[in-house]
Parts: sequence; C-alpha cells; structure tokens
Amino acid sequence: MNVIETTKLFKTYSQGDIQVNALNDVSINFEQGEFTAIVGPSGSGKTTFLNAIGGLDTPDSGKVIINNTDITQLKSNQLIDFRLRNIGFVFQAYNLIPVLTAKENVEFIMLMQGETAKSRKSRTEELLNAVGLKEQINRKPGQLSGGQQQRVAVARALASKPQFVLADEPTANLDSTSTSNLLDIMFRLNQEEKMTFIFSTHDQRVIDRAKRIITLEDGKVISDVIQ
Amino acid sequence: MLIKLAWRNIWRNKKRSFITITAILIAVFLAIIMRSLQLGMYDNMIQNVVGSYSGHVQVHSKGYWEEQTIDNAFEFNDSLIQKIENNINVSNTTKRIQSGCLSSNSDLSKFVFVTGIEPQKEQLMTDWNKRLIDGELLKPNSQAINIGKGIAKYYDLHIGDTLIFIGQGYHGMQAVGAFQVSGILDMKNPALNNISVFMSLSSAQEFLSAEGLMTHLVINKKEYSDEKEIVASLQKELNKNYEIMSWQEMMPEIEQVIQADSAGGLIMIFILYMIITFGIFGTVLMMTQERKYEFGVVVSIGMKKVKLMISMVYETIFLTSIGIFLGILLSRPIVLHYYNNPLEFPAEEAEMMESQGFEAVIPFMSSYDIPITHGLIIFFISLIICIYPIITIYKLNPIKAMKR
Ligand SMILES: Nc1ncnc2c1ncn2[C@@H]1O[C@H](COP(=O)(O)OP(=O)(O)O)[C@@H](O)[C@H]1O
Repeated sequence: MNVIETTKLFKTYSQGDIQVNALNDVSINFEQGEFTAIVGPSGSGKTTFLNAIGGLDTPDSGKVIINNTDITQLKSNQLIDFRLRNIGFVFQAYNLIPVLTAKENVEFIMLMQGETAKSRKSRTEELLNAVGLKEQINRKPGQLSGGQQQRVAVARALASKPQFVLADEPTANLDSTSTSNLLDIMFRLNQEEKMTFIFSTHDQRVIDRAKRIITLEDGKVISDVIQ
Repeated sequence: MLIKLAWRNIWRNKKRSFITITAILIAVFLAIIMRSLQLGMYDNMIQNVVGSYSGHVQVHSKGYWEEQTIDNAFEFNDSLIQKIENNINVSNTTKRIQSGCLSSNSDLSKFVFVTGIEPQKEQLMTDWNKRLIDGELLKPNSQAINIGKGIAKYYDLHIGDTLIFIGQGYHGMQAVGAFQVSGILDMKNPALNNISVFMSLSSAQEFLSAEGLMTHLVINKKEYSDEKEIVASLQKELNKNYEIMSWQEMMPEIEQVIQADSAGGLIMIFILYMIITFGIFGTVLMMTQERKYEFGVVVSIGMKKVKLMISMVYETIFLTSIGIFLGILLSRPIVLHYYNNPLEFPAEEAEMMESQGFEAVIPFMSSYDIPITHGLIIFFISLIICIYPIITIYKLNPIKAMKR
C-alpha cells in the first residue's frame, strides 16, 4: 500500500532572470515501512521535494496524495492540522522548543492532538526510552548534546503516530558516533514499528543504511534503486 | 501548556525581561505617585472650599441660584432629607437659611450675609473649632452670632458686643434684630471673613420671619465618590420644584483651575507612557524576531498559529502584569503614608497659601481608582503591542522562517 503518491510535480523558482526548475516532473510513490534516502548534489531539489510531500510548500502543479487526500488542495490552516495528524518532522537542527524539557517537547505534540494526560505520559516515556534517553527526560535542549537533541526530535516526530517521518538532513550537524546512533534508532523504529522514514542526505554512511535510494539532479529523478 | 510555555519564555532572556519589568514598574510607580499627589491636592483644595463651606451638592428651591432671595426659600420636610441621606454616595446633609442684609454699629454700616445654620451638622463637614479665634461657637438654639474676623475688625467688635441687622424677611416682612457676638471666626478666606454672619437656624428663621423654611440644603458626599452621580440620581428622585447643583456648577472657576493644572500632569504621564510603550514594543519585537525559527518549527510540526499567537499574548501580558503589579505594590505604602501624614509645604509658602484660604498640606489620594486606572492603561498598551507578534505569526511562512 502506498503512503504517499506524487504525480508530475513541478516547481520553478526565479532567481533574478534565471528560472530554476527545483522540481521538474517528479512522480514517486512511497510504500508503508520504507526507509528511503533522497540524495543528490546541493541544489538538486531534495528539500523542495520533502517540503512538497510534507505539506510545507505547494508545488506549481502536480498532485501529492497522502491518505486519500490531495494535500496540494488544502488551505493553510487545514494543512497545519494535516501535518499534525499525519506527518512527523525532523529538521537539520534546533528542532526543539528550548524552554521545554525533552519530555515536554515530546508531549507537546500529543497535547495539540488532544491526547489524555495518561496516554501522553506513557507514550512519552516509551518513546524517550526507545531513543535511549531515559535518564535525560527532564533535561532541557540546552543540556543535551546535538545527537541527543536529534533523538528527542525523532521521538517527537513519532509521538503523533504519523503515517511517515520526514527528515531533512537529520545528521548534517552530528559527529559520526551520534550519526550512527541516530541511524540505529531510526532503523530499529522502522523495523519494530513499521514506521516509514524518508530522509534527504549527503552523508555516505546514511546512504549505506537506506533500503531505497532516490537520486535527484536538477529537479529530476535520475535513479531509484532498492538495496 | 501555553501558559507554561509563555511563562518559561519570559525567563529565557532574564536580563531583558528584568529590564522591561523594571521599566514598567517605574512607569506605573511614577504615574501612581504623581496622580495620587495631584488628585490628592485637588481633593484637598476642593475639600477646603467646597467640603467645608458650600458642600459638594446643594439643593435649592427652583430658581434660587438665579435669584438668591429669601423669597425663594423652601419648606423642608423630613422625608426629603431622608431620601437624600439614603443615597449611598451621600455622607451628610445640613440645612441653611441665608439672606443678605445691612449690619450696623454706631456710625458704621456694612452689607453682610446672615446664615442660619445647624451647628452640630456643620461640624460634620468641617471642624469649626479650627475657625474659632475668639469666644465660643454657636449652640443649636443660641441667640447669639458668630462673625467673620473681617467684620469684627471693621466694627472693632469684641465678644459680648452687639450688632444690629436690618433687612427684608420672607414675603416682604421687615427683618430687624440686634444680636450679641459670641464668637469670632477665621473662615480662611478673606471674602468670607468680610461678609459672614452665622446664627442658629432657629434664630435666623425667626429673624427672617421664615419659620420652617430654608434656602440651602447642603450635601456632602462620601470620600472619593462622585458628586455628579448624586446630582443625577437626586434629579431623578426629587420633584421638579427643586434645583440640584454640584459645586462645579456653582463654582466653575475652581474646576477650571484644577483642569488646567491636571492637564499638565496628564501630559507628563502621557510622555511616560509613550516611552514605556516603545520599551515594551522593543522587547516584544526582539522576542518575536529572534524566535522566528522556532515559530517555523512548531508551525511545521502542526501547532496552530492561533495557539502560538495566544502564547505570545500570554507572554506579553505576564511580562507587563508583573511590572504593573510590582509598581502598584511599591507605590501603595508611600501613597498610604502620605494619605495619613500629608506632605507639608515649607513655612513661607504655607503662609501664603493659608492666606488665600488653602490648607498648606497635600494629603495623597488613596483611592484604588488611581492604581487600577494606570495598571489598566499599561495593560491595554501591552495588548495593543501584541498586534505585532500576532501579525508576524499570521504572516509566518515556516519554510522561510527556518531558512538561515
Ligand atoms: N525560495 C527559493 N527561492 C529561489 N530559489 C530557490 C528557493 N528554494 C530553493 N530554490 C532553488 O531551487 C533549487 C533546489 O533547491 P533545494 O530543494 O533546496 O535543493 P537541495 O535541498 O537539494 O539542496 C536550488 O537551485 C535552489 O537555489
């Protein structure tokens, strides 16, 4: 079953007089349980693509169908709600609300979904346990390392029980130990919870761990392989 | 959660929040002290002239103020007075009957106002012992008179001397009488000192052939209550045969002086508020700008913009409320202190003021209206400032916000 279907996505930016095709006829489908890396040189359209399937930006044309909904047709307020209920996000860095503890950051999203206090508490503990931060649940982001912060971000992304998790260069600011730690965790959650992960990356170690690798160049898909 | 978020966000930049709160505190504090002093001064001024003599509100027979003659006197009845005294803003009332007449002693003569008063009730308005400079005060049914020191000086009268009055009584009756001076008063006002003769209500009514009549019903309001409210409610309650006037209508010049002076103070407070507005705005601007990335993240993961706006409004309100609260808290003991122990003018000025009929002290006004008003003003300013983060969040595009 496909979690995401994209058809004929186009997105053009104008930089001065030059037209840049950030997405040039991209049609990719993703199935439940994928662990997919979007790769390609800088400026190839990776972020633009992730933003399109994450409902953060609308393509100029084409469809993005998630859960039977064409999200390109949603109004901005509906989109915010759609993101809350269906998509988990992990950004490059500074994902967390600095004044909230790790636990509160994870709970925050469930609170917005209207979960009861009891289910929030148990799920938060379960997720922070799963990312190996049992001891740090009451620390604020400033008291955590970059890798630990990204692990909290992964826990938060999963907290809303999304259809899939999008991660835009999640390891860009991490050292190699933290990178492999984070990957282990994402991989295990992928295996155990059948959670779909789609991430963009430059990092060869990340690429090596992916099950499917989609390569973009100048806004076009130039290869799509399953390892 | 939004409240928790807002509260913690305030302490993110402790130094800046501290400075902002302190600035608000100082503004509220200064505004309250300034206004308490000013309004206290006016209140005291009004109290001296109005509260102790004319009363805050007077009831006359219709047309009396235009034509102040004894023929415009009215009959009093207890139900009328009862009705007035039942008004929640009214502190006490007293009856007077007043008429102009000629006084004479040996070769001299002088126009004076004879006023019949209820000594005990007058005492509720002001302490007549402070006015007495010689002799004794009137008793309820005494036959003697108290006179202003100006009159005493003019005739060179002393206690026990007699003064003759000739005038017109009620409905054209002849009013003639000789009265013994039992006390000499300093009315703290040169005009009043030259013209005032007081007798007991009953002797004045007899002298003027006006049994059971009065010209003025003088009403004193409770502290800090509104005389205009008294006028409005009495106008509804009493019938059309009476005219009900506030002191502002009877003595518009005093109100004008106060308004002119008050305007100066308000301009200063306005400037103070302008500065504070920019101070708060600067802080809110920085708070908003430096958090745009974070706004981008939380909107991306699904936080509704309205919730984010509410959180920023809370944050701004908390910040200002702390300042307002502390400002009020710190000003209160000072205001109360100077309410109970009024500021005194230095001796030279004091003498000058007293000669003009003013008490040379400024008691602060302790009414809660002042802190509430100024607290609310700053509160509303902060609400208006919230428009900035609200618009910023409304316009926020999460992708742009997260691009560095
Ligand atoms: N907001 C924008 N305005 C103009 N050009 C943009 C904008 N966003 C992206 N681009 C351009 O679109 C292309 C694809 O960008 P992006 O999707 O960020 O690539 P990647 O993530 O692979 O580095 C680049 O050439 C980039 O310069």
